[in-house]
Amino acid sequence: MFLRRALPYVLSLPALLVCIGILVPFFTAAYYSLQRYNLAMPGSREFVWFGQYLDLLSDPDFWVTVRVSATYAITTVGLELLLGLGIALLLHERTRFNNIVSIALLLPLMTAPAIASLMWKLMTNPNFGVLSWLIAQVGIHDFRWASAPGSAMFTVVLVDIWVYTPFMMVLLLAGLRSLPPQPFEAARLDGVAPHFVFFRITLPMLAPYIVTATLFRLLDSIQQFDIVYAMTQGGPGDSLMLFQVRAYLDFFQYTNVGTSAALMVVLWAITYLLSHVFIKQWLRLRERTHGNS
Amino acid sequence: MAIAKILRALALSLVLAFFLFPIVWILLMSFQTNEEILRLPPSTFFRPTLGNYIALISGHLETAAGELDITFLHNLWNSILLSTSSVALALLLGVPAAYAFARFRFRLGEDIAFTMLSFRFAPPLLVLLPLSLYFQDLGLNDTYLGLIWVYQLICLPLILWIVRGYFEDASPDIEYAYRIDGHSWWRAFTRIAVPLAGPGIAAAGLLSFIFAWNNFVFALILASADKQPVTVGALAFVTASGIQYGQIAAAIVLSILPTLALALYAQRWLVEGLSLGAVKG
Amino acid sequence: MSGLAIADIRAQFGRNEVLRGIDLAVAAGETLVLFGPSGAGKTVLLRAIAGLEPGATGRVVIDGEDVSTHGPESRNVGMAFQNFALYPHLSARENIASPLRARGVSAGEIDARVGAIARLLRIAHVLSHPPRALSNGQKQRTALARALIAEPRILLLDDPLRNVDAKLRYEMRLELPRLLRESNAATIYVTQDYREAMALGDRVAVLQNGVIAQCGAADAVYDLPANREVARLFGDPPINLLPCRPQAAAGGIDIEAAGFRLHLGAREEATGKDCLLGLRPETLSLSDHPIAGGVAADIVAITPLHERQVVLTRTAAGEELVVSVAHDVPKAGSHVWLLADPRAALVFEASAGKLIQAPMAIRGCAA
Repeated sequence: MFLRRALPYVLSLPALLVCIGILVPFFTAAYYSLQRYNLAMPGSREFVWFGQYLDLLSDPDFWVTVRVSATYAITTVGLELLLGLGIALLLHERTRFNNIVSIALLLPLMTAPAIASLMWKLMTNPNFGVLSWLIAQVGIHDFRWASAPGSAMFTVVLVDIWVYTPFMMVLLLAGLRSLPPQPFEAARLDGVAPHFVFFRITLPMLAPYIVTATLFRLLDSIQQFDIVYAMTQGGPGDSLMLFQVRAYLDFFQYTNVGTSAALMVVLWAITYLLSHVFIKQWLRLRERTHGNS
Repeated sequence: MAIAKILRALALSLVLAFFLFPIVWILLMSFQTNEEILRLPPSTFFRPTLGNYIALISGHLETAAGELDITFLHNLWNSILLSTSSVALALLLGVPAAYAFARFRFRLGEDIAFTMLSFRFAPPLLVLLPLSLYFQDLGLNDTYLGLIWVYQLICLPLILWIVRGYFEDASPDIEYAYRIDGHSWWRAFTRIAVPLAGPGIAAAGLLSFIFAWNNFVFALILASADKQPVTVGALAFVTASGIQYGQIAAAIVLSILPTLALALYAQRWLVEGLSLGAVKG
Repeated sequence: MSGLAIADIRAQFGRNEVLRGIDLAVAAGETLVLFGPSGAGKTVLLRAIAGLEPGATGRVVIDGEDVSTHGPESRNVGMAFQNFALYPHLSARENIASPLRARGVSAGEIDARVGAIARLLRIAHVLSHPPRALSNGQKQRTALARALIAEPRILLLDDPLRNVDAKLRYEMRLELPRLLRESNAATIYVTQDYREAMALGDRVAVLQNGVIAQCGAADAVYDLPANREVARLFGDPPINLLPCRPQAAAGGIDIEAAGFRLHLGAREEATGKDCLLGLRPETLSLSDHPIAGGVAADIVAITPLHERQVVLTRTAAGEELVVSVAHDVPKAGSHVWLLADPRAALVFEASAGKLIQAPMAIRGCAA
């Protein structure tokens, strides 16, 4: 009897222990964020409560990070949603050709984002990059892609779109194909105009998928590190100082553990709130997929 | 109608071009010599060379500056080792836990399951930065073991939630029937529950392999050159002096080939994996 | 005692008490039908007996041995599930062999025993097939073979005919009693179908709201249901229930309901109370000409059911009554007269639904 009650704990305990090992550093990070703590100046370490956070609020660099992160997240997710939805609609019909296309489109998503950045770096190389050559053909010379502050954001957003649009596409395509056909058949019988069908039937029915996929992407995009770090390490200047990039540089370049931790805790708070909303949506979809077993 | 068809075909062609062109171009580049790469306009016809791959695989590079040793093959090996071991460990830990969450309603059960899910969405650096300090104390810094442990952040939530869905979809009566036949709990688990969730376990394993392989930031922070997987290694490549562009391209091709091949093989389950089991493709 | 005895089985899911103290005894070779509406807790009780309900408490004694703390694998129980619960990745042969494999029976003997029971159940030709290649009837027989093959002391059959077609259900109803008798196990057979209960049960236990509302021979449950709900469920078409207020009369009570005037013996306690008169459709007779004491009614609809005619009638007062007769009846719209048999009439309290003063006490089923 005791064994039977203990069984679920026995089964999940190993996984739980691994997670506790990961939870410890999480609390350490929170603890560090309350300290003025620089590895290079161990003598000056002191507990300052929320001092770091107050400093952040008055630090213009912090607000640059907030602005850059928000711009990055909103631009990438917005464009990926539009593109992904458009492609999903194009591929809606279950034909052999469409299936092959949708599988082929998954390849960028399966490429490591850091490697994807590398690929685009080669393609935008000023000496031999095929993209640099292509836009020179249409009269744009000396476009410096990720190495100019004006176009750096554009370039990394482009890479992000290349990698992650397929994510939106497959989720929305799966959603589209799972919709019941009756409302669409009824609309066709009634001779309803296509745009009306799209806005009044397709979109509302697809909404749970759109919301879930968008929140999912937003959660990832606001934490983006790989693409930007591999492309420019946050530069030029601080034009691409996303949260995690700045925290990484604070920690490893300036050995400033305290600020870095505070920055991460702020990001964590944002993602925690977002993930709360997300998980609710996600559970709803999951229930639909798995029934009520 | 005809116009709509043409527009549709045009749109799809553009989409395909945008998403596949980079891969095709890098693939072509990996078979070119440096001179061919640097020629403008880009060469569409060229005599393909395996030189780049040979240099990568042999590890010896003849350059104008002299001879250069490259460790790319070692990075590739690290990727294989790290991803495979991480997935194996995650399966070992995650499958029993997924079963527990699917079959038993127990105190804290859901809390644990959601905590593990939340790892998927927590900023990795939040954990990694303090961990890099701890690892030095624990002697785990720059060890495979430490990396494999941290890789559980990627693999465990995925396996836990996908496999849980498969266990939930199978009727518990089938296991009960097996127990009543006179088999122990453990045999019912290994002979009935696990085989029935087999496709889900395979899918979750393949997907977490892909995500572990593609990970960049964990090894960037916790591993030295000796233990780095291809994602970090390839980046270091670019900045190393004397390396030719064709070899970078070849390294990229070798780095993404395994995951792309696995993805094509596992495409049936990709949607499910990407949505952590919430949507079926 | 050889057989099964359970005492004070209780199960609770959250705040919902599913079983509230169940006592039952089933002798070896006996079949007890566990009857009740869906959601009454029948399946939970079976699972508790099999040891599959960790939350359930109470004692389970098999052949005199208390197995309450044993796991399901060591209770020597055979069980057939409503959804068959076949192992989808194993052949029918391996499905059936599973209990023997668990007991370490030799390969040769397994072959012989699986072959024998497969021939008995007429599934020998599909033994190599996986479950998905079997028809529902073959699945059901495979599940039954698996439950029977190890000659368990206790056999738990959870509505095994629920998911098979009418023809097969009819056949199995004829075959099962012999199979169960030969197995010599103490059998609990769950069903919601009163015909199955009548055909298969040596005794019937009615489970209602987590307690055994009544237990006895099938005929006794049919003739003297413990309460209104049991009366309604145990019978098809369901019993007619007419509101009435019995008056005292010499040696018993007089009842007037829907035009019927009946004098019933004893049951004086019903006098002056709000009651329900229960008239089984089979106990009403129907005639196409006026008869003494008959109530005039019109035929609304006629449905054939199991070689009988089920006739829905409406009295002049607007009461609808169902009558089931073996003979031909005039067509719908005809004018008929209905006669009730006072010996078969039942009286229930209107509020609690309890049967009032049955001439015989209602027996329980505990050990």
